[in-house]
Amino acid sequence: MKRISLFLILGLLALFQLAPASDEITLDVKEKDLSNGMKILVVENHIAPVVSTIVRFKVGAADEHTRITGMSHFLEHMMFKGSKIIGTTNYEAEVPLMAKMDSLAELLQAERGKLRNPLLDGSQERADEIRQQIADVQEEQGQYIVKDELWETYLKNGGSRLNASTGTEGTQYYVSLPSNRLELWAFLESDRMGDLQLREFYSERDVIREERRQTTENRPWGVMYEAMGATAHWTSPYRWDAIGWGSDIENYRRDHMAEHFRRYYHPSNAIACVVGDVDPEEIFALCEKYFGAIPAGPTPPPVFTDDSPQKGERRVEVEFDANPIAMIAWHMPQAGHPDVAPLDVLSDILSRGRTSRFHKNLVETKLGRASGYISYSRFPDLFTCRITPMGDHSAEEVMEAALAEIEKVKTEPVEQWEIDKVRNQSDADFVRSLNSNNGIAYRLANYQAINGDWHYLLDYRTEYKNVTAEDIMRVASKYFTKSNRTVVTLVPPPSKTEELEASL
Amino acid sequence: MKKVYSYILLALLLAVISLPAAAQQSVGSKIIEKFDYPKLEWSVPELGEDVQREVLDNGIILFMMEDHRLPILGISALIRCGEAYVPIEQMAIPGITGDVMRSGGTTNIDPDSLNTLLELIGGRLETSIGYENGSASLSVMSKDTDLGLRLMADVLRNPAFPEDKIDLVKTQMKTNIKRRNDSPQRILSRQFYNLIYGNHPDGRIMEWEYIAPISRQELVDYHKKHFVPNNIMLGITGDFDPAEIKSLLNKYFGDWKKKDINLPEIPKVDDTPKPGVYQVYKDVNQASIRFGHLGVNRDNPDRFAVSVMNYILGGGSFTSRMTSKVRSDEGLSYSVGTRYQTTTRDLGVWWAFCQTKLTTTYKAMRLMLDEVERIRGGLVDDEELESAKDSYINRYVFNFTTPGRIVNRLMELEFENRPPDQLKKYIDNIGKVTKEDVLRVAKKYLTPENITFVVVGDPAQFEKPLDEFGAVTNIELKPPKLN
Repeated sequence: MKRISLFLILGLLALFQLAPASDEITLDVKEKDLSNGMKILVVENHIAPVVSTIVRFKVGAADEHTRITGMSHFLEHMMFKGSKIIGTTNYEAEVPLMAKMDSLAELLQAERGKLRNPLLDGSQERADEIRQQIADVQEEQGQYIVKDELWETYLKNGGSRLNASTGTEGTQYYVSLPSNRLELWAFLESDRMGDLQLREFYSERDVIREERRQTTENRPWGVMYEAMGATAHWTSPYRWDAIGWGSDIENYRRDHMAEHFRRYYHPSNAIACVVGDVDPEEIFALCEKYFGAIPAGPTPPPVFTDDSPQKGERRVEVEFDANPIAMIAWHMPQAGHPDVAPLDVLSDILSRGRTSRFHKNLVETKLGRASGYISYSRFPDLFTCRITPMGDHSAEEVMEAALAEIEKVKTEPVEQWEIDKVRNQSDADFVRSLNSNNGIAYRLANYQAINGDWHYLLDYRTEYKNVTAEDIMRVASKYFTKSNRTVVTLVPPPSKTEELEASL
Repeated sequence: MKKVYSYILLALLLAVISLPAAAQQSVGSKIIEKFDYPKLEWSVPELGEDVQREVLDNGIILFMMEDHRLPILGISALIRCGEAYVPIEQMAIPGITGDVMRSGGTTNIDPDSLNTLLELIGGRLETSIGYENGSASLSVMSKDTDLGLRLMADVLRNPAFPEDKIDLVKTQMKTNIKRRNDSPQRILSRQFYNLIYGNHPDGRIMEWEYIAPISRQELVDYHKKHFVPNNIMLGITGDFDPAEIKSLLNKYFGDWKKKDINLPEIPKVDDTPKPGVYQVYKDVNQASIRFGHLGVNRDNPDRFAVSVMNYILGGGSFTSRMTSKVRSDEGLSYSVGTRYQTTTRDLGVWWAFCQTKLTTTYKAMRLMLDEVERIRGGLVDDEELESAKDSYINRYVFNFTTPGRIVNRLMELEFENRPPDQLKKYIDNIGKVTKEDVLRVAKKYLTPENITFVVVGDPAQFEKPLDEFGAVTNIELKPPKLN
């Protein structure tokens, strides 16, 4: 074999631009709107007798406000706690006990309020006493509770990838099942959508507080994301992470959650997506039977609090017991805006694969790792760049190098082969994603929720493929300005730095 | 890629629960009982039926399964080699070899050209060498089959190992060592395995002193020794024609000569228990807890009963006993449960894990241990047992949902020298487990007196010292030596 050179490959470029891989691929989606406004999407894939499902509710952290930050995520946890007929042997008997806990929780909140206020006389003893009383009533309610019944039922029926997740844009519930168990799915999902009961509220509130410690407070990137959100977004609801603020979590009220559920959890705000070894007509009939009976709900309130325009670079340091890392972010527009695709192509040219600019000029020079990616959000959000220095390089050095790459894009058009390769990579990944029932279900539900029409999945691919070098230069100059950016760095606390220096 | 929060953290999602007695059923469960599910038309895929197996003249073993739904071709290779086979001072060689085989290009194509070519066609080609096997994978559009195979063969056969790419991976590994105490989970996992396995390949810790002296020649020699056709299996799936692919394989791999290969024995795990409590200070507001001991391996006939037992104890995510108690009832943790390795060659580990605020560390550990004692102390309920077994049996189909997964399962079976009917017997083996088996294996394979406890956090803030669980040792984390 003769040694192949890069020159030769670039010379042969035309060869590889022929026939993009995904052009012949169609996505055969069957859809139906139930009379209560619920959207059902079905894709057949008969390779194995299994099916992946998603129920998506169009509510996330961006629909929250302070005092209930993280409520969408907490509600997601509560959706596993049962209804009037699941998770309980005697719902009527539970009601007064739950009401009793709510009154105690109000007393607890009041006592904690006093404890925080130096002018008032709160008692820690009293607070602990109330906490114990809540626990006692919870234990009493335990006699009627069938623990985690929904979860257990799915699992013994072969449920796989059972989980749920909440972000800023939406909340989704996943389960994959053997394809003969779809009636079980329709029954359980419609039951919790129509008739959720908020039992074990206060013990789950403690679980969420631990989740926040684990995923946000004690992980370097967790700390970084939270600091970035709160610094780059001064006013919009992207200011808080989907987990919510710690003190909001500690004080969540059950009636606030009931209100959140009433507003957002109804068929007209929900999408179901079923992908696998199924007959679409049968799915539609099942959905009509189970979800069709749930009444449509109120139109969710609009979100209108924008970020005030950023005037000047913002810089923040967070102290954490770890080696330095950094993040840079710029404000960018929301999904549907024509500048999103050029930014997306640019992020791929910067950081996707071994020929990307960050890999060639940062990784291969042993400076550090960097990645850039867009947000695909309902409201204006951030283009984010994550930075991890290598060897003994400082975060500042790597950041400078990454910023230099970004500056270059503003003044020199990217090369055509770079656009071609990210287009072909993206095409190939699209084809690969069609091999996964879960992957298809998630993407369809996501586009349906964010853009209001799953077809945008295909339209966006066209937008992505039509991006030119001029588009990229234009958006780079427009968004990647100093005054539009926020920089967050993680540094070890002063005590750690001294310790480290002493040990050298 | 904003942070998204999930209901549970880990991907292993099986569960069981103690159901209420029949008289205390929920209304919903009575409705569900009446559902009449059509029979699932499915059986475990078999060699010769669903997957074709052939051996090329030079010993390369092929597993093939066609799937023409999408215009993609996937190839995965397994090579017998890995870190388990080398002494500690050579522990960095396999990993660096696996990385630079791909990142360094070949004697026929330099790395930049290889990368550009692959990315222009949207292809992926990766190699790595792990603990007990090397692997390579190729994914290309089927129109690029010829080119993809040619590049894959070239990477497997003729890697160039240039010095600059060797230096790069060494720097990356150095960075990784430098950052190894950044998050509590990394500290916990590393210290736990090291305490349980000592300097056995399963437990040893990578240090810069093992990486720095590795020379290019050692990588070349390592590759030359292990990458021979009679030591390789290829799993081929997707949009291909068997006759055509075989002729391409012969074209690109056919002149590769067989060569004898003798791998040394992997050292036996020392099964002496190492009980005790090990505390590692880290400035965080939550304790990360892991405790356990050595258990069973994949040749142990009790491993099915062990799996069922562990699911009831803490493996069945949060409807298992331990998770139900510590997470759901007490609200002490988001992530708590147990894992029991049953598919390792030598003895695997059983461990329990939990993260809880510093001031409830003792309490959480006490409750977790109580559950260990409880499952050793009496028979589980019929409903718990049935629910666990149903879950395993009904979800088994998910091991075989794509041709890629099917071929990998069958290939692994042969790679690990396990009986070919093992996949088919799995459902029976789970089905046979009784309550008495569960109790017997709980007593035999959970031994509280042997438990090694590791806790990362600030011990000064624990509500109670942990000496009740064993003699306490503090492990001091020193900055790693990097020169």
